[in-house]
Amino acid sequence: MEETRQVILSAKDIEVKFRVRDNYLTAIRNVSLDLYQGETFAIVGESGSGKSVFTKTFTGMLESNGSITNGSVMFEGKDLTKLKTDKDWEGIRGAKISTIFQDPMTSLNPIRTIGSQITEVIEKHQGVSRAEAKKQAIQIMERVGIVDAANRFDEYPFQYSGGMRQRIVIAIALSCHPEILICDEPTTALDVTIQAQIISLIRDLQKELGFTTLYITHDLGVVANVADRVGVMYGGQIIEYGTVEEVFFDPRHPYTWALLSSLPQLGVKGEDLFYITGTPPSLYNEIKGDAFAPRNEHALKIDFEQEPPFFKVSDTHYAKTWLLDPRAPKLEKPEVIRDLHEKIKKMTDKGGAFHVE
Amino acid sequence: MDTENTNLFEFAAFDELESEHIAAPRYSYWKSVWRTFFKNKFTVAVAILLIFIVAFALIQPMKSGYSPTVTPNINNADMKFLKPGPGHIFGTDHVGNEVFDAVWAGARNSIIISFICTAINMLVGIPIGALWGFSKKMDKWMIEVYNIISNIPFLLLAMILSYVLGAGMRSLIITMTCTEWIFVAYFIRTQVMIIRDREYNLASKCLGTRTGTMIVKNILPYLISVIMTYISRQIPNLISYEVFLSYMGLGLGTTNASLGQTISMYTSYMKGYPHLFWIPVSVLAIISISLYIVGQKLADAADPRTHM
Amino acid sequence: MSNEQREVILSVKHVDITFDKFKAVKDANFDIYKGETFALVGESGSGKTTIGRAIMRINPCSAGEILFEGKRISGKISKEEDRNVVRNIQMIFQDPAASLNERATIEYCVSEGLYNFHLYKDEEDRIAKVDHALESVGLLPEHKSRYPHEFSGGQRQRVGIARAMIMDPKFIVADEPISALDVSIRAQVLNLMNKLKAEKNLTYLFIAHDLSVVRFIADRIAVIHHGEIVEIADSETLFKFPVHPYTISLLSAVPMPDPVVERTRRAIVYDPSVLDQSGEKREMREIRPGHFVYCTNREYGDYEDKMLQMEREMA
Repeated sequence: MEETRQVILSAKDIEVKFRVRDNYLTAIRNVSLDLYQGETFAIVGESGSGKSVFTKTFTGMLESNGSITNGSVMFEGKDLTKLKTDKDWEGIRGAKISTIFQDPMTSLNPIRTIGSQITEVIEKHQGVSRAEAKKQAIQIMERVGIVDAANRFDEYPFQYSGGMRQRIVIAIALSCHPEILICDEPTTALDVTIQAQIISLIRDLQKELGFTTLYITHDLGVVANVADRVGVMYGGQIIEYGTVEEVFFDPRHPYTWALLSSLPQLGVKGEDLFYITGTPPSLYNEIKGDAFAPRNEHALKIDFEQEPPFFKVSDTHYAKTWLLDPRAPKLEKPEVIRDLHEKIKKMTDKGGAFHVE
Repeated sequence: MDTENTNLFEFAAFDELESEHIAAPRYSYWKSVWRTFFKNKFTVAVAILLIFIVAFALIQPMKSGYSPTVTPNINNADMKFLKPGPGHIFGTDHVGNEVFDAVWAGARNSIIISFICTAINMLVGIPIGALWGFSKKMDKWMIEVYNIISNIPFLLLAMILSYVLGAGMRSLIITMTCTEWIFVAYFIRTQVMIIRDREYNLASKCLGTRTGTMIVKNILPYLISVIMTYISRQIPNLISYEVFLSYMGLGLGTTNASLGQTISMYTSYMKGYPHLFWIPVSVLAIISISLYIVGQKLADAADPRTHM
Repeated sequence: MSNEQREVILSVKHVDITFDKFKAVKDANFDIYKGETFALVGESGSGKTTIGRAIMRINPCSAGEILFEGKRISGKISKEEDRNVVRNIQMIFQDPAASLNERATIEYCVSEGLYNFHLYKDEEDRIAKVDHALESVGLLPEHKSRYPHEFSGGQRQRVGIARAMIMDPKFIVADEPISALDVSIRAQVLNLMNKLKAEKNLTYLFIAHDLSVVRFIADRIAVIHHGEIVEIADSETLFKFPVHPYTISLLSAVPMPDPVVERTRRAIVYDPSVLDQSGEKREMREIRPGHFVYCTNREYGDYEDKMLQMEREMA
């Protein structure tokens, strides 16, 4: 089935460098990714793993001291890495590929009314009259869950709560019917209950409008909720990717193991949680071997010498770790994340800690 | 070869504490300040020029013994109004004195006065401003004091003081410090208020740290950079005040040399002998600009964000 | 009930906290027992941090009082008592990058409390104490001469913990101590807090927005919403028998790391209109021993029915 699906965007061997004073920092180290039409792909990683930077190459929004030093991003027959000026990007950024950021205020103008900001986008991209644009704007505001949209049309962003603002940003992003919606930690700044609402709003809209979603987050719980496929990023690389079931129930990279194992949801009271020692690698230095090796209690000697290739686990599941090499010793994933589904099910079924009626 | 390869697939030793070490060389604030400062060649060149000028201004007058009241060549027409050239670097003036000597003697006093006044203003203004920014009670009445003092016309004050105390170094220093400190204090107060409620200060409060310690350990170290910026503007400013006051006849008086005095004395000869005017003005400009540049660059270097 | 025999270390008694007419906390009323971890869970703006800071004497109470070991610590107290409070109640802050003095060495940061109370015999003793505090949080004595910005987020947070622990406090207010940290290092800080608690017989007030963390660390939990504490129970009870609709909503919003389970889970939106709108004043009522819920008479009846139903199902 996977083969029959159409690739909508294809990034190949992307390398991104930033110039910081007199140093170069390699933020992305040869990352490739195929996005399929209509899917939700989640990129999960810690701060500094490069997850945001990577996706900014799809919209040409790298900070001015950064540049793509290698690779290509193919979208509708065009190599997006070749686009330079804002004019080149016209018709793609904000139109076919839209982004929602963590802080809704980065996308809203604080001194203009919510309504005028949505109408402007509709007018510009659809070439309709102002009255028609206003009608559509109110419709779309209602669609993203703004109660009493007609009356709130003329209010300013500060009169909206954080969750409402994020809904407006989603409305603006969707008003020009994008092919791809990039959600960059869209719920991190929001409260847990609001987070759940925004996530399900995005999912419902996706079902209805059929766009492709690229989700960026540090929260594995969110990933489990939203994603069809997952890519785990560490030290500027994707180190494991597969369907969401494969990554959660059959993870192969020790970093993925560690991330899952340290989730407090899996903690047992009175016992220590699993934790990862040390800190992510400095991207100023050249990384030798597997970037995770210094923090990996299961590291092999070769992890410090050579960068591992991607090993195939299944047609859809690949992991970049020497542990999958036939010469490597056999190692099972940690106890905490074995039978993960059974454990979680017990927690959410009747009588479990996270069961709700 | 093959065995070597298989050996690579053994587990490596793992030491948890290993990852706690910090490999980067030890950070030292002041070392980093100087390193950043000296990295820029232009800044270093200006700093060397500045040091040279200041040192020269301090030493040269001791050798020349110049005083505007000593005029050995006043009756020797051949020595008056000589153009700059060999033997008379900057030429001679209307009384036959070396302009070179006059300018440096003037620069010396101007520099000394501005340094002393800046030091006084900072020493008074910073502690008062720091307390002022911290104490809401003090703020209420200090703001009134500030409103009153800052509205006193500077020129009027300078005139009164110069009449009461007589012209001279002492009255000039008092003129340039007796109200100026409150501007320093006000500036510091605003800066303190910005960082006073930051979380690390709350943390110190929770640890029982007293206000005084907090000002010294938590607040002032954060203000080094902005204080340096302030000083780098204040010193040239005070030099130009001095020039202005001396020019208006409210400065050191005609018996003492100063850049202001020198410029005011030579202005009348500007038409016929423009070098008499332009030489001291250029020296004034060079001192002011280089002081400003070095101060700004030092302030930049004192900002830890530049220490990467 | 065993709770009554246990020694209360801190009580918050009918506390209101107001900022310029805005009531951030309304009638907060709870006891914290010696040796427990008491969690205060709520969303941003719920007033949870405000309560924590009132205990630290940073925010003044506009009504009610806070007692520590039976003595009032809110409002005006003597200098001596103030010092006693500082010695015994310490705080761990949310953002370790913002809560450490960037211009001071780690040695100074950790020694700050020692200096303030002169809790050392001589320099040698002070250094030994600092080394010991650093070691107890997994840092190295060689870190003393370093500056905060040289450390990672997790290490900085451990410095923050060390400087609080060196005072040998009895009570710690931990204000979202892991929220600002990267996911991979949160677990280490949680473990460390548990370890120190056991070693030093500490009591924690753990402020959080996330029930998954709280389940792991807390003995008792108070849920706070818009400045009102809506439910208090011991941890296991709160997860098993949540009665207040807001608690249930919070619980349903915890994301689970399982795609299959997540597909069927639906977040329950809290709708305050289901509450009694009669205007009757709500108060904390004990629905089961040690399990309190903020409600009117009619709501109490509803919750009681719900409770009975849940108990029947469990049995």
